[in-house]
Amino acid sequence: MKNIRSLWDETVKKYGPLTALKWLNKKETEEITYEKFGENVKKIRRGLEVSGFAGAHIALIGGSSSEWIAGYLALVTGCNVAVPLDALLPAEELSDLLVRADCAALFLDKKLLGYAQKFLKKCPMLRNIWVLSTEEIESGDERLSSLSQLLSKGDVMFDVPGAAGSDIATIIYTSGTTGKSKGVMLTQENLSENVRSVEYEASPGCVVLSVLPIHHAYCLVMDILKTLSLGCCVCLNDSLLHMVRNIGIFKPEVMLMVPLMIETIYKKIAALEKDLDKHSIYENVLGGKLRIIFTGGAHLEPFYIDKYEELGVDILEGYGMSECSPVITSNTPSDHKKGSIGKPLKNVEISFKDGEILVRGSSVMKGYYKMPGETAAALEDGWLHTGDKGYIDEDGYLFINGRVKNLIIMSNGENVSPEEIENKLGINPLIKEVVITGENNGLTARIYPDPEVVEALDLTHEELKLALHQIIDEYNASQPSYRHVTALLIRKDPFARNTTGKIIRKDACLPVDALTG
Amino acid sequence: MSIEKEFRKLIAQYSGVSPEEVAASCRFREDLGFSSLDFMSLLGEVEDEFDIELAPEKLCDIHTVGEAMNLIASMV
Repeated sequence: MKNIRSLWDETVKKYGPLTALKWLNKKETEEITYEKFGENVKKIRRGLEVSGFAGAHIALIGGSSSEWIAGYLALVTGCNVAVPLDALLPAEELSDLLVRADCAALFLDKKLLGYAQKFLKKCPMLRNIWVLSTEEIESGDERLSSLSQLLSKGDVMFDVPGAAGSDIATIIYTSGTTGKSKGVMLTQENLSENVRSVEYEASPGCVVLSVLPIHHAYCLVMDILKTLSLGCCVCLNDSLLHMVRNIGIFKPEVMLMVPLMIETIYKKIAALEKDLDKHSIYENVLGGKLRIIFTGGAHLEPFYIDKYEELGVDILEGYGMSECSPVITSNTPSDHKKGSIGKPLKNVEISFKDGEILVRGSSVMKGYYKMPGETAAALEDGWLHTGDKGYIDEDGYLFINGRVKNLIIMSNGENVSPEEIENKLGINPLIKEVVITGENNGLTARIYPDPEVVEALDLTHEELKLALHQIIDEYNASQPSYRHVTALLIRKDPFARNTTGKIIRKDACLPVDALTG
Repeated sequence: MSIEKEFRKLIAQYSGVSPEEVAASCRFREDLGFSSLDFMSLLGEVEDEFDIELAPEKLCDIHTVGEAMNLIASMV
């Protein structure tokens, strides 16, 4: 069967007594075996059925935790559709996504309990919220309870069958070029085939530290589904504040990272280079056991591959996107080429149209949820338009050399839609035109202020600059850090436009008319 | 070592400038070239080094070295 249920049942049967997950509770390490974790997943799955949520779309909002993963596995090993959402988004945006994804229920991180009533009020379809905690919740609202309720309701004999391969397992929201995020529909087959097709160097018991945001396809499929399917011990990073400390605590052999993480850790390494030898740095910063870092989501300078190699760590780059469940190509320990993003997985075909990479195969999404126009634009006879330009060399390795779509790829792998930010900032009457660009791993707002408003308010240049900084600070305060605008450029002239009246983005960065930085 | 001196030393690890050059008015992103993750990692080290726990909601208001220093000093 090409579904996640068969993959998971096989895993629990094969690796029952081994440790599946480890995490920190305050400063103490806790863990759970595959057998016990499998029992919890089964109970939640049955509890959902008993509670009348068979087949429902159910969202998950929270950081990495054993409860989050148990909830996710319960949904996708049964017949529900899991909708993982970014816990860092503002409550209004989360409410909008809950509505757009037709969610009937929600698993919510205990830290976000304050959002619960807002969600219940704003999302008419939402019938229940389970807080991701095994402790009872006294809420006074029967729609709000904890995971323990589902666990006890699920203590029954019957079980829910697994879903068909063509059924949707997960909807993942990704930045859209029009400024509206799109729900990528991934089927049971899409996900399970991606898990089966990726070559991953890890044996049962191998320690893997998961540091990526759990709602991302790369983390969900590789850190969780793939790694667990191999019987590895997945350790959960409790906070990005303590990533380096947690590497020292868990001592992983393998990690998945985005380039930003590799760069930040390297700064620690470089700072210690004058005082410590390579072995001590390896022990102190990288935990002493790290062999492999898989990376993807953004470009990584080959400099870092060389530097980590000096410490005995192989960095293997891959390429993927949520629409492909997500991995498309990957370098492997036995087959890699520096600067490339590896060879296509065995279930992937690649072709090119006007230089753009097209992908076809069993991991390519079913489409965007309730967006037929966007789906038709992205999928052409089963070929997915990736929006990236590239080529395959004579040895079969894929290289990327540009982008077709107007998305900014940050080095933490987040895709940022400039229009989405421009729409938010452009509401202010002081801003006549704004273009967001990505430079030096940050976002720059290039603003042409409305001359009439500036004149009416009699603003000096310094006052104008201050007012624009305040607008940006207010916007930043409501957004996750990867969407923060970190630099401002004020223009004295409007942006150049094409014949249809659209701003010519490629000319927006020309520095000729910038007044200030 | 004083708290301020130790804090400047931690900052220098991420910014490539010497601890003596880190002025209170320096902005982490614009002047010292910190990425969002550099900033979080620095704060994680601050928590461990000074045995304090920083409230996430207060971190959004920190833009300069001086603002961070004041917050740490008020908690140690």
